Amino acid sequence: MLNETAIEVRNVKKSFKVYLDKGSQLKERLLFSKRRRCEVRDVLREISFTVSKGEAVGLIGRNGCGKSTTLKLLTKIMYPDEGTITMNGRVSSLIELGAGFHPDMSGRENIYTNAAIFGLTKKEIDSRLEDIIAFSELEDFIDNPVRTYSSGMYMRLAFSVAINVDADILLIDEILAVGDANFQAKCFNKLKEIKANGTTIVIVSHSLGQIEQICDRSIWIHEGVIRAQGSPKEIDLEYLDFMSQKIQENNRRDLEKKQQQEQQSRENEAEQKAPPAEDTPQAKKRWGNGNARIKKITVFSENGSQQEVFRTGESISLKIDYNVNERVPDAVFGIGIFNRDGVQCYGTNTRIDKLPEFELTENGTFTINLKHTGLLAGEYLIDIAIETGDGIPVDYYREAAKIVMLSAMGDVGIARLQHNWELGSRIFEVI
Amino acid sequence: MNTAKELYAYRQMIFSLVKKDLRGRYKGSVLGFLWTFINPLLQLVVYTIVFSFILKTNIERYYLYLFVALIPWIFFSSSITVGAASVVAQKDLVKKIYFPRMVIPISYVTSCFVNMLLCFIVIFGVIIISGAGLNFLALLCLPVIMAVEYLLALGMAMLTSAVTVYFRDLEHILGIISMAWMYMTPIMYDKSIVPDELLPVFNLNPMTHVIGCYRAVLYYKEIPDLASLLSAAGLGVLFLIIGVLVFNRLQRHFAEEL
Repeated sequence: MLNETAIEVRNVKKSFKVYLDKGSQLKERLLFSKRRRCEVRDVLREISFTVSKGEAVGLIGRNGCGKSTTLKLLTKIMYPDEGTITMNGRVSSLIELGAGFHPDMSGRENIYTNAAIFGLTKKEIDSRLEDIIAFSELEDFIDNPVRTYSSGMYMRLAFSVAINVDADILLIDEILAVGDANFQAKCFNKLKEIKANGTTIVIVSHSLGQIEQICDRSIWIHEGVIRAQGSPKEIDLEYLDFMSQKIQENNRRDLEKKQQQEQQSRENEAEQKAPPAEDTPQAKKRWGNGNARIKKITVFSENGSQQEVFRTGESISLKIDYNVNERVPDAVFGIGIFNRDGVQCYGTNTRIDKLPEFELTENGTFTINLKHTGLLAGEYLIDIAIETGDGIPVDYYREAAKIVMLSAMGDVGIARLQHNWELGSRIFEVI
Repeated sequence: MNTAKELYAYRQMIFSLVKKDLRGRYKGSVLGFLWTFINPLLQLVVYTIVFSFILKTNIERYYLYLFVALIPWIFFSSSITVGAASVVAQKDLVKKIYFPRMVIPISYVTSCFVNMLLCFIVIFGVIIISGAGLNFLALLCLPVIMAVEYLLALGMAMLTSAVTVYFRDLEHILGIISMAWMYMTPIMYDKSIVPDELLPVFNLNPMTHVIGCYRAVLYYKEIPDLASLLSAAGLGVLFLIIGVLVFNRLQRHFAEEL
């Protein structure tokens, strides 16, 4: 029973014709036959895998790697160019929620239309109606037209229909972004319940945390082939490592471009000899009396390698080289870390940390070592500052450095607080 | 066979699409659903005026002669012309979710068919009011004729709706084709005036037989010619098979082409 196959994908290939200038009209086809340049893009080069009944599998990979195409092939929205796909059992997909919803019809009527699209008969829908409405928590609004719903309510209704189809195989594409946190948790629990009942599940998600919680296996698709598969914990780490290298490469390229631009603008400035305007964004990014200036910022990891991408919990070091133009007798160094929303996640300086004031007479460096940085996944911008003992900025450099944090765990918030759990006499450490 | 089984499983979807289409057709208009009846009645008035006062014909009760042929024709022609756009019109569904694609042309043709049935209420009303009378034995043949026409229309709609996805011009070309087809079918005139050398073409046209049968039952009050009915049925089945085969072949790439 356990080893029965639910999904079998064998040697599947799929390519798309991408028309750069597509014409589906007769005139265009006849007149501009030469203009119809098209590129054949191999989205799936060759993919084979099987999923046993009751197994939950997560498909991971970067954008455009073919994971969503794989899911579309599984639902039979598209067909493979080569190879075969066998699905055993009724399939329900949570790919596009609310397909076929009619805004003028009531929620109840839309349940019938939408469920009919999943292949349910009227009798089957009748018997599920109460469950669907209850799950959506829309009892009071169910007879109002759907166009009066908020987008959250709309998605809740759509999700409730799709999840109550009682499919043997459930295909999910990035859905757990439905509704508020409360409803998300509910969906998540429902998924676990469905899985416990023996439904086969295939999930495409960017949230590795979700995949780790539900799936028994991760399949990593990279450029149209399966690069690795196995337990989510291992594969996800491997994938994260790979991604961090990619991000770093991109960042380095960005940085080089930026430096080139800066150099150019500096040259221009020198030519014009005009003082920079106070209100330009470039000027606003940096201020101070200029007696000392930050020259270079290097970010590196515990083992000394220079990088911008770190995993949550790793140690991060920032080394700052500075030039001194005029003696600063009472310097204080500071740092501030901001997330994408501009929220300050952490900030400190040598005064707060009760260090002595420093006398700067010649060029030098200072380093701050952030041990076991608990910042959660995301991009962070770092401000670096040198000021005097009275708080007068010498060189305040906004957004001087950028780091990217990656995490395989699904915890939420700004930073991971070190913790463990105690139940009775047992203590569970969290890695 | 599998297709038929799957379509049966999705009958609720066909039913709800037909309902949606019928309800949505006259939505927002003041007279609403009444248009289903007013439209053919007004057409009848126009034809009566034209052919009784301007273009006089020697066919007795010409308005009825025309009317019993025109209503079935409108069903057929709207099935192929507007039906051609049906898959394209539902592209949001086709691209996003799986269901047997044939559901779309089937439900579209069915909704046109239901519309024709409603128009038949008007036809019977006119027949009774005009005092032309009915032959009840002949009337028993009517459902068979309707079923044959349904198969024909469905086959054509499958063909046109699938091809239109790849070749959008078809939708417009079909406007001309259906007009030509209408004049190549004895709807406004009698088959007896067709020149002999053109007769084979007319006999290959399945609609010649279908219209002939409708007219026999409703106008001449007689049981239709069995040979005519059989050839229409044969052609109907052939059309449907071709339609299904082509549709099945072409539907594989719908999601990419839309």
